[in-house]
Amino acid sequence: MAAASVCALSLGTPYVPLYRLPGALLDADSTLAGVVVTELRVPRLVLALVAGLCLGAAGLVLQEALRNALAVPEMLGVSSGAALGVAAPLVLAASIPTAVQPLLAIGGAVLGGGLTLLAAGLGRSPSAVLLTGAAVAAALQAALLVLMVMADQFDLQLIYRYLLGSLSARTWDDVTGLWPWLLVASPALVLCAPVLSVLRLGDEDAEALGVRAQRARFAALAIAIVLIAPVTAVCGPVAWVGFLAPHLARWLNPAADAVRWLPWSAAWGAVVVAVADVPARLALAPVETPVGAWTALLGVPVGVALLRSGPRKPAARRGAARSDAVRSEPRGTGAEAVPTAGKETG
Amino acid sequence: MKRRFAVFTALAVVCACGELLAGRGMSPAVVWDVLGGAGDATERHILLQLRLPRMLVALAAGACLGVAGLVLQSALRNPLAGPEVTGVTPGAVLGAVTATALGLAGWESPLAVVVAACVGGCSGAALLWLLAGRGRGDPAQIALHGVLVSAVLGGLTAMVLLVAPGELGSVVQWLVGTTEGRVWQHWHLLWPWALAWSAVAWLLAGPLTLLRCGDDIAGAAGLSAARARTLALLCAVALTAGAVAAVGALGFVGLLVPHLALAVFGADLRMTLPGAALVGAAVVCGSDAAAQLLSRLLAVALDSGRLTLPVGALTTCVGAALLLVVVRRWPSRTF
Repeated sequence: MAAASVCALSLGTPYVPLYRLPGALLDADSTLAGVVVTELRVPRLVLALVAGLCLGAAGLVLQEALRNALAVPEMLGVSSGAALGVAAPLVLAASIPTAVQPLLAIGGAVLGGGLTLLAAGLGRSPSAVLLTGAAVAAALQAALLVLMVMADQFDLQLIYRYLLGSLSARTWDDVTGLWPWLLVASPALVLCAPVLSVLRLGDEDAEALGVRAQRARFAALAIAIVLIAPVTAVCGPVAWVGFLAPHLARWLNPAADAVRWLPWSAAWGAVVVAVADVPARLALAPVETPVGAWTALLGVPVGVALLRSGPRKPAARRGAARSDAVRSEPRGTGAEAVPTAGKETG
Repeated sequence: MKRRFAVFTALAVVCACGELLAGRGMSPAVVWDVLGGAGDATERHILLQLRLPRMLVALAAGACLGVAGLVLQSALRNPLAGPEVTGVTPGAVLGAVTATALGLAGWESPLAVVVAACVGGCSGAALLWLLAGRGRGDPAQIALHGVLVSAVLGGLTAMVLLVAPGELGSVVQWLVGTTEGRVWQHWHLLWPWALAWSAVAWLLAGPLTLLRCGDDIAGAAGLSAARARTLALLCAVALTAGAVAAVGALGFVGLLVPHLALAVFGADLRMTLPGAALVGAAVVCGSDAAAQLLSRLLAVALDSGRLTLPVGALTTCVGAALLLVVVRRWPSRTF
């Protein structure tokens, strides 16, 4: 993470070498490098780290709560909802005061996620929630595409860039807007972590242990939405971080449980976004590529590789136990993709 | 069974008529006149050069998608394996977009786009095939990898669009799926392709019915499951690529039509494959008619001619709603 941070701070135009970095950070206003570093690169880096943290943690919460290795924010309607919230006023040329604009995206995200929860009947079964989420996401996406068909070229570029998830031109204001949400989400996250490790035993076992599976799942989904919505509002849906980070966390310490995976997953999310942001800024300079495209391109193959290679050794017993728990669940074929994935990740 | 076929053929015909009538600016009486050989030049042009090919393309594309979805779902034994989640549709989109961005094809010459989309669809499916263990992987694995392959291809498409942002406007229409501006050239390219591969699918109906029962039973009946599956997948890819090249990525058609067809025509694929083609044609054509009607109404209501509803948006929304209903009603079945 440190290496990625240093790269993020020093590379680019103007290039600030490592030894001058402290100086640039200390007297921000006097030199060009100082201004660039403190006003542009540091907030961007902080934003990338925070976004990664949120997405990684949310991804783990979703995957554990739904017992599904593919439960990612993109598939639950949250990202699409936020994008719709941003795109609609742009295209329809509605005049919205600037103060309200971030709220629109958050509202859209909450709407998308809420719609999923509502349609899924408060989390009836893991695969049903996932399917419902996919349906809601697709419908919102279609609405968005209709808007894009109507939009003119300039708006189109803006919306498109946002849709891919971009960190460009984000300042301290955007970062400070995130804090209140994080303050709400982090205690809830800490509270729900132990429940997650119970949930992954399967609904019946969880009920036997005194956890109300449906309510717990609902709560977990709500927390995930609170984590994802503000991030999506600020930088767009940075794709597949919520997929990759939990898998990395699981792969590196397979013997742990959800409580210990949670911080790891968050950390990995932060690293992934920070690392991906470097090529996003530099690969096609001076044109900036959206970071979301990179996370999708890099994240998915790595995630697949992790899924396929399976857990490292100590998890063999655990993996077997888990696959039993999954198999005992009398679900239909829609869940078929799910248990195998679970077995693989173990 | 015959009655069901008759009913659905009638439905497809009704949808086709609806499609002819639903566009802007012509009353049903005028349409009737033109079909009878009368009418002035403009009306004849609109009907014969614009609406008729559009209707035919919609019918053929719907049939292709329905058959492709059914073949995929049977071969992979996965009720959720639509073309969208097996890398075929995203691959086809990527192929077409890349070809245009590189200047190899223009949107005004459908042939090059069709070829590019077919190549792209096949490479998407090949990528999936390689990833999922060269055809011997189990169905769940294939489905899982399909989602991921689709994601990668989507990311690549996004990158290409960023490099060539000028294409964005025309590509968006494609990403959602539309039948607007389809002419006879599209139809001439589509129908031989659709017919040939539908025939292959029909020949595969027997093996596919066995595959639905599981590899063990298919093996016991003397069928080489892996070979049959590979052939079936190839057929499904070809059908999807053709449809996507013609109308773009129509959402949920390939996923939901097979379920409808199975519910109506039963599990014998020799009956259900033509049934799926009929249902798909009726669904896409009907949605297109409804989309045109809706955008006409919306244009009147909002007083802006800019608004047109692409058919893909409608199929996606209706499909999503249907999926929700199904998931809610049979949560334990989840399809």
